[in-house]
Amino acid sequence: MSPFELLTPETVDEAIAELRSADDPRPAVLAGGTDLLLDIEDGRTAPARVVSLRRLPWRTLDWVGGALSVGSTLSLRSLEADPAVRERLPGLWEAIHAVGSVALRHRATLGGNLGRAAPASDLVPMLLALDAEVELVGPGGVRRTPVDAFVRASRRTALGPAELIRGIRIPEARPSAYRWQRVRPANDISQIAVAAAFSPSRRSWSVAVGGMPPRPILLPEVARDLGPGAPNEPARRSACARASREVAIAADQRASEEYRRRLIGTLLDRAIRAVTIAGEGRP
Amino acid sequence: MTAAARPDLALKLAGGARYGTDLDRPGMLWAALVPSPVAHGRVRSVDLAPARRRPGVVAIDADDLPGLLPGGGGDADRPIFPANEIAYRNQPLAAVAAPTLAEARRAAAAVRIDVAPLPALIDLETAFPEWPGSEAARSPHVIAHVHARHGDLADAFRTADRVVEETYRTSGVHQVPLEPHACVASVADGRWRVETSTQSPFGVREDVASLLGIPEADVVVEGAWVGGGFGGKGSSLLEPYALLLSRAAERPVRLALDYRQEFELGRTTLPSVIRLTTAVRDGRIVARRVRLLLDVGSSLPGRDFATGYSIGFLLGPYRAPAFEVEGYGVRTNKPPFGPHRAPFAPQCAFAVESHLDEVARAVGRDPVAFRAEHLWHDGDTTPFGQRVGPFGAAAALEQARATAERWRAAAPPGHGVGIGIGFWSTNTGAGGEVRLVLSPTGLTIVQGEREIGSGSVLRGLAAVAERALGLPPDRVRVEYLGTADAPFDSGVFGSRTVGAMGRAIVEASAALRATLAERLGSAGPIRLDLADGELVAVGPDTRRPVRELLAPAERSAGIVATGRHFAKPNAIDEGRVVTGEFYAFTDFTGSVHVAEVAVDRETGAVRVERYAAFQDVGTVVDRATAQAQVEGGIAMGLGIALTEEAVWSEEGRLLNPHLLDYRIPTLGEVPVPDVTFVEGFAGAGPFGAKGLGEPPIVPVPAAVAAAVRDASGAHVTELPLSAERVARALKLL
Amino acid sequence: MTPSPTGLRVNGRDAALDGMPDDERLLDTLRWRLGLKGTKEGCRTGDCGACTVLVDGASTLSCLTLTREVEGGEITTIDGDSEDPELRRVRAAFADAGALQCGYCTPGFVLALAGLLKERGRAAPVEELLDGLQGNLCRCTGYAAIVRAVALAREAPT
Repeated sequence: MSPFELLTPETVDEAIAELRSADDPRPAVLAGGTDLLLDIEDGRTAPARVVSLRRLPWRTLDWVGGALSVGSTLSLRSLEADPAVRERLPGLWEAIHAVGSVALRHRATLGGNLGRAAPASDLVPMLLALDAEVELVGPGGVRRTPVDAFVRASRRTALGPAELIRGIRIPEARPSAYRWQRVRPANDISQIAVAAAFSPSRRSWSVAVGGMPPRPILLPEVARDLGPGAPNEPARRSACARASREVAIAADQRASEEYRRRLIGTLLDRAIRAVTIAGEGRP
Repeated sequence: MTAAARPDLALKLAGGARYGTDLDRPGMLWAALVPSPVAHGRVRSVDLAPARRRPGVVAIDADDLPGLLPGGGGDADRPIFPANEIAYRNQPLAAVAAPTLAEARRAAAAVRIDVAPLPALIDLETAFPEWPGSEAARSPHVIAHVHARHGDLADAFRTADRVVEETYRTSGVHQVPLEPHACVASVADGRWRVETSTQSPFGVREDVASLLGIPEADVVVEGAWVGGGFGGKGSSLLEPYALLLSRAAERPVRLALDYRQEFELGRTTLPSVIRLTTAVRDGRIVARRVRLLLDVGSSLPGRDFATGYSIGFLLGPYRAPAFEVEGYGVRTNKPPFGPHRAPFAPQCAFAVESHLDEVARAVGRDPVAFRAEHLWHDGDTTPFGQRVGPFGAAAALEQARATAERWRAAAPPGHGVGIGIGFWSTNTGAGGEVRLVLSPTGLTIVQGEREIGSGSVLRGLAAVAERALGLPPDRVRVEYLGTADAPFDSGVFGSRTVGAMGRAIVEASAALRATLAERLGSAGPIRLDLADGELVAVGPDTRRPVRELLAPAERSAGIVATGRHFAKPNAIDEGRVVTGEFYAFTDFTGSVHVAEVAVDRETGAVRVERYAAFQDVGTVVDRATAQAQVEGGIAMGLGIALTEEAVWSEEGRLLNPHLLDYRIPTLGEVPVPDVTFVEGFAGAGPFGAKGLGEPPIVPVPAAVAAAVRDASGAHVTELPLSAERVARALKLL
Repeated sequence: MTPSPTGLRVNGRDAALDGMPDDERLLDTLRWRLGLKGTKEGCRTGDCGACTVLVDGASTLSCLTLTREVEGGEITTIDGDSEDPELRRVRAAFADAGALQCGYCTPGFVLALAGLLKERGRAAPVEELLDGLQGNLCRCTGYAAIVRAVALAREAPT
């Protein structure tokens, strides 16, 4: 006897129909399963039905006019293996590389990571800093929403009752960097992670911080402090000091509040410098 | 002669080794334990009825034991299920078996438990908010008190130029064998049979017999392949439950821990607070006082071995004319303290080495030179009045200092180099016997230890026999038999396999040579030679194939010789003991390690860049196996030094029972070390060999801490040296 | 030969999955349904790598994979005497380097390295291969012998 029934719809419409026809609560959606199956095993969730996305045609990666579109069920490993991702979105590559192990990344997906909205996600901070949009498909068709509006809290998203994440769109290539600190460098959850990216089209910075509950957040004031290009040292220092000072920080088993505060400034400084050095001083 | 390969390589590389978790029997039931929801409390009632109503489920609790056990019960001090007082969270209150694992878990969850919670003691420091005085021995929380002294302490402290006192803290650490505990029991016809993943089949037999109150002769223990032990699989844990369920169900029963339970139920090293006081006069140590508060979990009064054993390592291998040691074993509501590779010695060495470093700095001396001046040499006397035997630490230190100087000269900014000295003693006191069987084509060593991974059984024992009889490796085979058929053997622990069982093999080899000499009619020494694929006994003036020396009854098997080793423990000077039990050392093994680390001055993060080990070993018996022990010990020590830390809530819940947040080192955090063996300082084993399973882990946290201090100035007095602790020591927070 | 869409091919043989519950993990299918005990159960939370197998050549944590999700796929495990060239190469390297002690992590390490060699090729920098093995925990060897085995696996002639 299985505690849940696994459904493998062949088309997007069928998948949405499964979600609509279901009784409350909504069936669980399975992309790679590396996070959902842990929750099921530990009894944190006990869905009666699980909808698998594996037959949907969403294992895609497309560069269109400088923008990157990633299908929601493409494995993180495939994304990581794309040379253009590493070259044009170095911060995204670093963030993906920070997730779990190679074997985990062979199954884990970008869509799954967003949909599960883990508080310490290594991908959400970078997606925030890259101004990524989530493409959702549901009974009413397709809609797009910024990642910042999509990830609402720990384990909570703006996904509608019969909606699925179809893909993620990153509007442009950006010099970017992801810096994190962990108790153990590999195979661990970040104590603090900082994502920084510079938009050549808008000539502005985006900065996000993650690694603690309730969810990764953008730091717009800090980004403004950095100005319209490579910041000089006082501007960089002032931005880092503001980040350390103003971010609301939670303490947990992984790090104390004061240590996280310290780390934010340090890692932000390193991320900004990594971006400016890679861009030869002119991001 | 090329080095012999491990004989288990091919089997393990084809997935053919059957570990405890792989065991399967026709008609087998799967078992689950029913855990206590509180760390301390009284059992009001356990209602098995809801579990028993489920199809195919067998459930047992304390009420069932008299009916299941022929003697009506076992050890009243160590009940299988607590009849009244719960000692730690997740302590089994009942056990169930069902046709599938999922069914067993559902049945376990259906058992209705009613307990009255009591206040739990989890953090030992809450029992002693102030450092305890002499009244501590009367504390209800103290179940062991050991105290020894020697020399004129008062005078030494009064006349000292300088007295340095420091407090160190260490964390709980788990063994983390990749294979969790697992066994399959089948009870039938009055035989209590269990196959299990264990370091000591005979130890499990003894344990099971005493816990269940049945004769040892009725218990048969077979060892499965063991997926790592590290001290955690030295005595019984699951076997009594599986046996009782099998007896109740009249079917084979499999009981295995999932990894969360491995963390929650395993017996391991628990936290401590260590206070060290050292008096120096004219640049020399004149007196030392060491005091220890050791969390011994729910160990039983009178059965706490940890406190007296551990404290023996807190003085370190150093001379002091006057000393005092005092230790308190504090009972807390955690699982009982259990051995973890060189139990508590890495923590002791961390405190002792870091402290002597601090003392040396306080009196303006070079820390390593200061330690070297006080290091034991052969013929010195230990603080407990035992004569120090051959000890290679000083020779190893000399080599280590040269390496450290070279590394330091080449180190980039932000790097530092540190030296740690570790001391350990092989436990050859625990005895055993072996049977050698010589056939015309080779030798079989028949014995009762299952290989747990180190290679000490399959390669170590074989190498001893090869050397004792002059045989090539491909002619020697080690055979494992269960307790019903093997000669008695204490098991794999205390680095004793080559040391103690090797001595038994040497004895058996001598008997075999004597038999051959007699049959050859030769008075001189006998060696074995190989000619045309056949063994030949060679005396001073005669040689004959072994085939021709067999008695008729030996034709099918071979010539049998037995050897045994039951060493008499050394003595300490009881005149120095005020109270409690201290333990004598068998031999004296020094391990000197050099670590080069990089410390991130902004975050406190430590990265180990280079590592070298200089290992006093007496004689290398099998080089590849010896080197593998040193390499493995270093990695495990790096975990204790940097990332491993068990964390409990105030209610006694383990907060990190996962391999994600109980962080053993990965391949990326462990440099490939340089390993050098220092030979010539004989130990108690065969050919003067010293045990090697444990010594290499001992100095690792000390070496890393010294390197961190050298790199950054951070003097961290608590293990592990997490980035956050280093950051605090660097005043970044 | 095309594997049956409602079954698996495991080490080149068809494996039937009749009556398998939907929630069954690949790890349990291999070990308890098919009796292939070479794949090891460690943490069951994706943190130790002991259960690593290849699914269509890609290293995969069998504890975090539903068998139904890989139906129709080719599974490679440690069991038996495989013809897979990378697996043979890695096995030989582990044997020559003596890169195991208790052996419990070994199947996962061997499959993870074989998968990396398939994916990245032998010419991949050794640092990249070592980095790709950080999801596999070993408690016995201190990784030194495994690092030597990785070098051998890259360098040994075909």
